Amino acid sequence: MIEIRNLYKRYHNHHGSQWVLKDINLTIPTGVSVGLLGRNGAGKSTLLRLIGGMDSPDRGDIVRNSRVSWPIGLAGGFQGSMTGRQNVKFVARIHGADEEIERVVREVEAFAEIGDAFDEPVKTYSSGMRSRLAFGLSLAFDFDVYLSDEATAVGDRAFKAKAKEAFKARVGKASLIMVSHGEGVLREFCEAGIVLEKGQARWYDDIEEAIGAYHQATDGRKVEPPKIPTSLSEAKQQLMQANLEFEQVRLEYQIASDDPARNNPDDALRWRMEESRERMHEARRYVQQFQSQAKAKPRKRTTKTTKKTGRP
Amino acid sequence: MAMDVSRPDSSQPGFSQPDFARSPRGGSRSSWRVARSVWFAMFMRETISRTMADRMGWFWMIFEPLAIIGVMVSVRGLFMSGRHIAGADYVAWMVVGLMGFMLFRENMMRSIGAIEANRGLFAYRQVKPVDPVLVRCFLEGMLKSLIFILFITIGSLLKFELMPDYPFGAMMDWMSLWALGWGTGLTLSVLADLVPEIGKVARILNLPLLLLSGVIFPVLYVPHQYREYLLMNPIVHGLESMRMNFFSGYHTIDGIDMTYLWFWALALISLGLILHTRFRDQLKAH
Repeated sequence: MIEIRNLYKRYHNHHGSQWVLKDINLTIPTGVSVGLLGRNGAGKSTLLRLIGGMDSPDRGDIVRNSRVSWPIGLAGGFQGSMTGRQNVKFVARIHGADEEIERVVREVEAFAEIGDAFDEPVKTYSSGMRSRLAFGLSLAFDFDVYLSDEATAVGDRAFKAKAKEAFKARVGKASLIMVSHGEGVLREFCEAGIVLEKGQARWYDDIEEAIGAYHQATDGRKVEPPKIPTSLSEAKQQLMQANLEFEQVRLEYQIASDDPARNNPDDALRWRMEESRERMHEARRYVQQFQSQAKAKPRKRTTKTTKKTGRP
Repeated sequence: MAMDVSRPDSSQPGFSQPDFARSPRGGSRSSWRVARSVWFAMFMRETISRTMADRMGWFWMIFEPLAIIGVMVSVRGLFMSGRHIAGADYVAWMVVGLMGFMLFRENMMRSIGAIEANRGLFAYRQVKPVDPVLVRCFLEGMLKSLIFILFITIGSLLKFELMPDYPFGAMMDWMSLWALGWGTGLTLSVLADLVPEIGKVARILNLPLLLLSGVIFPVLYVPHQYREYLLMNPIVHGLESMRMNFFSGYHTIDGIDMTYLWFWALALISLGLILHTRFRDQLKAH
């Protein structure tokens, strides 16, 4: 259980100092995976850093009665000039795994599957390789709560599935607190949600509610949870809708893409485009599934008929 | 290819997952044990990057002081031929002074970059900004001691008198200079990280400090009325005391006092630790 009491946090910068987080009171129960939502700069990563103990609050306190991981993400955690293996050894050592370093290294190497790059400096890694290493490393330790800061944002489909599977194996033993712009990822991993808005935090027992509330607070968009279609026509309809939505978002993105800040991974619009693209692919997959089912039936009949006709 | 990230077979359902379930950590550890693990981990990391990362890391570590000593000795021979150091061979005299000064200087200068170089590792809450500074100072002192012992040994084998006459006293002075460098490093590492200009000023002050510490010029040549100002510099006390312990016949100016150096060293170490505690979050957040 993680208890946050009267938490205040601000950064003293040159533009005066506003509270990033203002009087936050939350209790995150044991074993519940939580998604953190909020617009850019709402303090999601700050809250995650505070929970992880990387930063200390200006007022209030955080009670961690469990072993909490470091925020698993792309930004920090690795020393660029050291090889992957050296980084893993370092992290194993600071976590007191002196006698088991070899085991940790072996497991991370097997999980990350980056081949010979494991002995190359981390600064030569692609973001996908970094996230593989970061994820594998965090899984080598037995934490009660894993903090994830966009850790699953990159990486291919296969690795995402593998990470998910590895994580599912620990359900009941460990939970997750994650920041992600990808709503699909949040839906997959989290049960509950916290929406940060104007320095305040609100707890939602259901992640769908949290996503809904987030959209209501930010862009007024209504989001429905994805439905699994039951028939070909329904699937086709969904695909059409998804196509339409994707085109719309892409247009919006292209209009806005003259802005130099567009390459920022924190860009909400880009994430929305990725998200709708994902949805479109998903819908297409369903349509194909139904179509192949529909095709499979007549094909059976035709093979039978050819058999019959071929006999005499 | 080895770099291929998306090997398709990895995600097959039959792929055997390594067992990550066992815990390498037994419950929560005491803060002392955490600090010890962090220091050990940092020490290993710094040692590797200091000695192995460079192709010729070891070579330069030994050759650099040798080259500096060679240059200094030849410069002195050119400009001050005929003058002698009472009670000591001047090459040995200079070797002792330079090694002592370099111990101090390296501790100071390596500390300044320590926080910046390890910023990525502050993602782990166990690692505090003070840790890389402490570890670097420790490592630097160990390496410099090793090299000095190596010089003394090789010197003795070549019948070049570099053996200290009072080894224990010389060792204490060496440690004192180390502590002074450690304190300066701790303090400057915070200040230089908060105000980068301070790091540049420290770099500029290197050469004047070398001259003012009596590394090349014997302090006996300094006129009487300026000696009291010269004695404000704690490095002078350390170097002269160490030379007196190395060469039993060596004489130097009055007023050499190791207590004064220790006053500086302890004050700087305390100040540095206080600054590290006070500005811990700013140092991490940068």
